[in-house]
Amino acid sequence: MEHFALWLGGFLTLGIFSFLYKDNPWYKLTEAIYVGISAGYFVVVYFWDNFYSKFWIGVFPHKRLNEAGELIAGVEPDYWLIVGGVLGLLMLMRLLPKVGWISRWPLAFIVGATAGLWLINYFASFVMVQIQNTVTPLFGADYSASLFVIVGNIVVAVGTFTGLIYFFFSKEHRGAFGGAARVGIFFLMITFGASFGYTVMSRMSLLIGRIDFLFGDWLGMIK
Amino acid sequence: MSTKAKEILALAMIFAFSLIFYIGKVLGWEAVRFSTTVSLIVILLVALSLLWILILTIRGRLVERRIVFLYVGIAVALPLFMTLSQKITISPEVEAVYNTLEELPEGSKVLVSFDYDPPSAPELQPMAEAFLYYCFEHDLKVIMMGLWPQGPMQANLAIEKVLSDEKIKSKNLKYGEDYVNLGFQAGYEFVIQRMGSDFRSMFPTDYRGTPYEQIPLVKNVKNFSNIDYCFNLSSGFPGTREWVQIAVDRYGVTLGAGNTAVQAPQMYPFMRAGQLVGLLGGMVGAAEFEFLTKWIGKGTKFMISQSFAHVIVIAFIIIGNVAFFRSKRKTGLKR
Amino acid sequence: MPSHPTTSRPSHPAMLLILFTFFLLPCIVLAQTEVGQTNIEGTPIVPDSEQIVAAPVTSLIAADHKYDDGEMIELSWVPSIDDQLVDGKVIGYKVYRLEDDGEPQMITELAPGSNAYNDQSVERGKLYSYFVSALSSNAETPSVRTAPIEPQREWLNYELLNVLIMALVLGGAVIYFIETARRGKKLFVRKIAGLEAVDEAIGRATEMGRPILFIPGILDMDDVQTLAALTILGRIARIIADYDTKIFMPVSRSLVMTAGRETIKASYQAAGRPDAYSDDMVTYITDEQFGYVAAVDGIMVRERPATVFLLGAFFAESLILAETGNSVGAIQIAGTARPAQLPFFIAACDFTLIGEELFAASAYLSGEPKQMGSLKGQDVGKAIAMAAILIGILTVTIGDSWDVEWIQNITTGLTEIFSTK
Repeated sequence: MEHFALWLGGFLTLGIFSFLYKDNPWYKLTEAIYVGISAGYFVVVYFWDNFYSKFWIGVFPHKRLNEAGELIAGVEPDYWLIVGGVLGLLMLMRLLPKVGWISRWPLAFIVGATAGLWLINYFASFVMVQIQNTVTPLFGADYSASLFVIVGNIVVAVGTFTGLIYFFFSKEHRGAFGGAARVGIFFLMITFGASFGYTVMSRMSLLIGRIDFLFGDWLGMIK
Repeated sequence: MSTKAKEILALAMIFAFSLIFYIGKVLGWEAVRFSTTVSLIVILLVALSLLWILILTIRGRLVERRIVFLYVGIAVALPLFMTLSQKITISPEVEAVYNTLEELPEGSKVLVSFDYDPPSAPELQPMAEAFLYYCFEHDLKVIMMGLWPQGPMQANLAIEKVLSDEKIKSKNLKYGEDYVNLGFQAGYEFVIQRMGSDFRSMFPTDYRGTPYEQIPLVKNVKNFSNIDYCFNLSSGFPGTREWVQIAVDRYGVTLGAGNTAVQAPQMYPFMRAGQLVGLLGGMVGAAEFEFLTKWIGKGTKFMISQSFAHVIVIAFIIIGNVAFFRSKRKTGLKR
Repeated sequence: MPSHPTTSRPSHPAMLLILFTFFLLPCIVLAQTEVGQTNIEGTPIVPDSEQIVAAPVTSLIAADHKYDDGEMIELSWVPSIDDQLVDGKVIGYKVYRLEDDGEPQMITELAPGSNAYNDQSVERGKLYSYFVSALSSNAETPSVRTAPIEPQREWLNYELLNVLIMALVLGGAVIYFIETARRGKKLFVRKIAGLEAVDEAIGRATEMGRPILFIPGILDMDDVQTLAALTILGRIARIIADYDTKIFMPVSRSLVMTAGRETIKASYQAAGRPDAYSDDMVTYITDEQFGYVAAVDGIMVRERPATVFLLGAFFAESLILAETGNSVGAIQIAGTARPAQLPFFIAACDFTLIGEELFAASAYLSGEPKQMGSLKGQDVGKAIAMAAILIGILTVTIGDSWDVEWIQNITTGLTEIFSTK
């Protein structure tokens, strides 16, 4: 079985790589297998990990016994899950054209609840804390910072400020404001370049992993 | 020979090549290793060919895009056969993760969240293995979980690898007492939120189906207050951002993270703000951490391929820019 | 008459001595040395003078943690005077808890030097009292027990009052501008590069007789980027219906499929071409990220669209999609708010909407009061952030060295306004 699995892995990997040459039946076959398996896999995972383990077990929990054979306290049904289950069923109404409008209610609940839950967390963690940490003395406490740190502090301050100016939509980018916005986009592009470089590293890592599988696990040419 | 015939011939050669080496592997052939001399000759040949491509580009003859794919493939594959190694320098972010771990006394409880899937394994699996190795070596208790469905499976693979090490094997670690895998829980960041008050509500059983209260390691672990250190391995959503947002900012957890290189730059603001105690970024972060923990894994092994690939990319960026500026001045370039 | 040893009166002093020796003396000795016996207070027995005894901790205070759901009690104490770095007797501390006057349970062990602990495993409705024992190498010295305390729940976390105020200011600004837009006042939004290209790109596809490919990202309807993408889709679909151009929209979420179909259908109906609409324009592929990418790449190579729109939330598949679209010669307009993917779109696409420009484009194209108002309200937030950063950096840089009190007060005030602890 291991031999079959390795050859299948090699066949499918090279099939996807063949797309680099051109679209071909080998790639089409591999693509179809991948799409089909992933769709089926997610159906199974969502059923067992979401519907069964969260909803069904939550509403009808297994009766568990401890080592002495007594029922463990605290394993109570959570009937609030039925509310979620009903909302989920209402969401499926979207498939029926006549009553499809009903699905807007659970969708509104999800969007509203998610927005409410995230609002304070996002605002506190990603806005307030970041503003607080951007406000630092440019030259260090008591002017004690090294040149490298001072330059870094100035870059952070100027980059943050001009980046915000670029994304200010209520004023046309003209004059000094436009100049500051150009500085902002300059900083953004440098950031994107650095991010691109990091991502190239990430993609190369994935390729290295696949090459290691092909030449190592499959063909045994490297150890 | 027609194009179709050439393609069929190429496929046949690939199949034959694979079959020969697969049979060789079964028969126990040794791994292919280039000596240092051969490695240097190969590097020189690749460098000369790149120089030739640059000259062609300057002359106005652009190479096909598929040549770039070929060179990247060569840059990644060939170093795996070479006997060259690369010096690893430790960055402050990686050292910070290690230093925080070093401060933990024996018996401390460490929560590791595996929030990634097999596509991100080349970068994150080496980090996981090095981290678990350190924990087991220093008698830290490890509680594993995942917010991604495949996360706990990756955890099991990492445990299997680490437990096969002779040094760790001799410790006779017991599942349920020294480490436990609580498995996957759907719910994204809401799982972290619920764990803030009650772990058991999110993980009524572990990965094997054992009830939470019957596992010695976690039966007295109610929430984050009973955890000494959290480590998150993340390649997307839900991941480190959610752990910072909820576990750190709301429950005061000490959090270190390992991220894919794509995500790592976005985590630096959290490090600056003190929300993250340290960060392992990409395969290079994994290699640095392996160096510190003295676990020689794939991160270190693959760094030379990583470096070669980056050099090739830089070379083609230069060639591409030459082609771009040349095309601005002249038209009708030959291919 | 039978006599009972404990109640009989010995007649002889020797009997008294025997009774004392064989009954009372052993009882006294055993009472003092039996393991596990506790005194009235319920604390362990104080060890005898031959053991190394550390001084107990003092000033142990147990307080309910404010502004929570009754989940935490904060303990603080002054460490033992024998807790020294050099030649100290204390090797650690143990924290004990009594629940509703029950037996003491050890809840944690702390290192020397510790002077605080947060007990987060408490429940409302129960009374807890604590004591802390200083550990020496072979003995424990308990502290005085605290008075029982019940964790309380508070409805508002006043520590985050500043966050609430900022959220109200921002929310108020959004509501104000939404209402202003509803009253018919035109709200100014600057021109966004890339939007002019939308009409041109659709025209190009029509002229070439090739289809348009629209990819709304890979997240579900609860993501705001997907909603923004669908708003722009509505506008694009309207133009497509007028020009009679073909559109393909492969999606990776079932809800997005139904929303996409509704959007395009509505646009075709508004253009007076309901017959030209077909459900096959929008197809569900798979939820799996790279499975979806493989399928879309295949569609791009086979259908060879003239224009590709990549608008919404993308992850690792962004460069694969953009590069494949580039290779088939399509004009590509992309937009995402995910910073990690923007570099790829900028490198591989013809026009890119960077970050919030995607939402601005959605608002600009739809002209909907809610979207326009939200955009303007967010600008108020950005203005506040810019002002805070500028004033804060200036005051903290100057105030530190010039030591001017009013400047330092501004810095302190700003730090407190934006603090979340």
